[in-house]
Amino acid sequence: MAAVAMSPARAVPPEGAASTSASASASVSASASASASGSSSENPADWGPQGRVLPPSMDATNSCVTCHATLTDQKLRAPAKEFVTSVHRDDRIGCAGCHHGDPRDPTVGAHKSEGFLPHPTHAEVPGVCGSCHSDAGFMRHLNSRLPVGQAALYNLSLHGKLTAAGDENAPACADCHGKHDILGPSSPKSPVNRANVSTLCGGCHGDGKRMAKYGLRTDQASKWEKSVHGQAFKRGNPNAPTCTGCHGAHAATPPEASSVGRACGRCHEEELAYFDMGPHSKGFRKRGLAECVACHSNHDVQPASSLMVGTTPDATCMKCHSKDEKPRKIADEIAGLLRGARGRAAEARAFVARAREEGLHVAGASFALDQIATAELKLRGVVHTLDPARLEGPVAAVDKAVAEARKLVDDAAQTRRVERRGYYVSLGIACVLFASLALKSLQLDRRRRGRS
Amino acid sequence: MNAEQPRKRVREGWLSDRLGWGGISTALAKHRAPRRGFVFYLGGITLFLLLVQVLSGVLLVLYYKPDSTNAHASVERIVGEIPYGDLIRGVHVWASDFFVACLVAHLFTIVIRRSYKPPHELTWLSGLVSLVIGIGMAFTGAILPWSQKAYAQARVGSEIAHNIPLIGGWMHRLLRGGQEVTSNTLSNAYGFHVAVLPATVTLLVGLHLFFLSRKPAPVPVSEQVVDEEPGAQGEADAAKAPAAPVDDDDTIPLYPDFLYRQAVAWVGVLVAVLTLAIFADRPLGEAADPRLSSTGAQPPWYFLPFHQIIRSSPRELLGIDGAKFIVGATCFLGALVVALPFLDRKGSKLMAWAGWIVLFVLFLLATSALS
Repeated sequence: MAAVAMSPARAVPPEGAASTSASASASVSASASASASGSSSENPADWGPQGRVLPPSMDATNSCVTCHATLTDQKLRAPAKEFVTSVHRDDRIGCAGCHHGDPRDPTVGAHKSEGFLPHPTHAEVPGVCGSCHSDAGFMRHLNSRLPVGQAALYNLSLHGKLTAAGDENAPACADCHGKHDILGPSSPKSPVNRANVSTLCGGCHGDGKRMAKYGLRTDQASKWEKSVHGQAFKRGNPNAPTCTGCHGAHAATPPEASSVGRACGRCHEEELAYFDMGPHSKGFRKRGLAECVACHSNHDVQPASSLMVGTTPDATCMKCHSKDEKPRKIADEIAGLLRGARGRAAEARAFVARAREEGLHVAGASFALDQIATAELKLRGVVHTLDPARLEGPVAAVDKAVAEARKLVDDAAQTRRVERRGYYVSLGIACVLFASLALKSLQLDRRRRGRS
Repeated sequence: MNAEQPRKRVREGWLSDRLGWGGISTALAKHRAPRRGFVFYLGGITLFLLLVQVLSGVLLVLYYKPDSTNAHASVERIVGEIPYGDLIRGVHVWASDFFVACLVAHLFTIVIRRSYKPPHELTWLSGLVSLVIGIGMAFTGAILPWSQKAYAQARVGSEIAHNIPLIGGWMHRLLRGGQEVTSNTLSNAYGFHVAVLPATVTLLVGLHLFFLSRKPAPVPVSEQVVDEEPGAQGEADAAKAPAAPVDDDDTIPLYPDFLYRQAVAWVGVLVAVLTLAIFADRPLGEAADPRLSSTGAQPPWYFLPFHQIIRSSPRELLGIDGAKFIVGATCFLGALVVALPFLDRKGSKLMAWAGWIVLFVLFLLATSALS
């Protein structure tokens, strides 16, 4: 988690992110002017989009790396070594892309140019990165697939706001992406690769000391790992959300009670739509309850079960409605419909599985099982309306799919029975033929012996 | 009896008018065949099994799709969805096993009875080539379901073929359709299984029967072939033709006695094949996945003893690669078997050892298959 650790040697933070960005932009401009006065900038081909002057080409030499790689001071040598694998190791970016200076100068004079930025402070980092990553023209020139809104989103995020306020605990760009050895997010080694995101976020959010200041819990990552989302992620489900799936990446902000449903609804769109039709939507909003989280929890969300609904002591409904007569009646009614349908669906699945185990080839069984699953999914969504009347349609759909699956198995079994009868008849005919021929042969034998 | 006679006359008259059946049956009746011994029916049973495979195979070809993507699914469909497809496939698979077993048994009985001796060289050679092609048909057929087992069998079988002296590399490429077992292997196997090999084996079996008709197999007591029209066999044969048929205790007329018995054997085998096809399921297995390991893969049962010997052989034998040595030695033995009619001459001591050699080979095959 080196990429997450905050550098203890950071300079005193500037007063604000805006000024940081401004200073970074100013330094880039200064560098641009300086470079523009050089001979290389006279060639229009060297000019980037929107008038940005690209750093001098390092095809032939990058004196920053050449020189720093030979230094004995580990702190000064390491960046040159790390930079070898960096995604920024590009003629158009190089060391000067962030630190400025003149990489063509093989002496310490390279540091003397205006705008040279040897150690960007924690608060300066978003400005330095954003100077390129917010420039649509320049980014399109570099890599048209890259987005350009990261810095703006970051500034809106809680992390960005805290960084701008001078809080060095809050992560800036380099704390997640790395510094000199930045890799593209598709690289499995990148800390921001999807596979590493929960470790990355958990590195800070699981640190009690660091989080104490903000009064935040530290068990989110461990809870997520055990949750239905974490388990699905572990199984390789590409749709399973990690931290950024709900909280966002650059705009990472904890969803508020009123917006939790929107976060969940990005994937569970249908459930959210049905939830909005139900009585809980208004009620939760009125009482400030977090929509989906109130019943399903957040980081440790468990697989939804029909046992959540009902009037049993463990049922989720009973957390709030243990003494309310009308909701109890509705919960019972919904539980009955839901459990009945899901039970019949489970039986049908087992029925098909048993038939397959017995060697019965049920044509269309996979499609029938998919139909059951689709109907169940719909039913699970409609439950969020908490209206038993609305459940009747989906329950009927489940029952229809179940009946179709059972019919397929029954038809296959019947076909097999008929076929088997045909097999036995064929075998019987063969046996009769065998016996007749054997008798005829014996008869011939007897006749021949009689003659002799 | 009175009712039977006119019916028989009508039947024979009808057939005689159209096929000249009376002449055929009279000619057949003059040939004599051994009265005792099941081994004399093996050749006919093998031919019958070939016919069963051709008929069931034609039905399977109607639904089989010979490409690696669809092959397994098409066999699943044949077994699961096509009416009686399960039975047809079962009959085809079991008949294939019976076919190879009968071919091998037929070979052994010929060797033990020394029926290959002159003037039966051509019958012997055509039979031997038919045996090799028959095994080839069974092997290529085993690849067609493109299951994991079929894939492994293709690998192991082609690997064994790679060790054949001189033509091993060519055989390996031919069987695999390249260097590796791929969809080309399946295409090649299909082409050979449904076209090249059946056509060749039909021709060879035809020749085998033709040679047999010209020089019938020796029967235990005496050559009891009679031909009242010597011109049919040529002057030379006519001169050697035996006298009138002898209805002794060791021989019976080819028609109707022997052919009825042969028909009993055919239908008996059909009953056995049907019973196994109905009651002994031959699982298709999972579809081939080249990413899965083929460790422990075994070839079809008729290659199993051979495979086990190769597996347990030392890495090197007399300075030659162990597998190549075993396959080479087998090929040498095969060449000796081919040359048997020419080696087993009067005064030759070879056949004094033949019985022991056959017993030793049987023992080796049995112990290897069980190991």
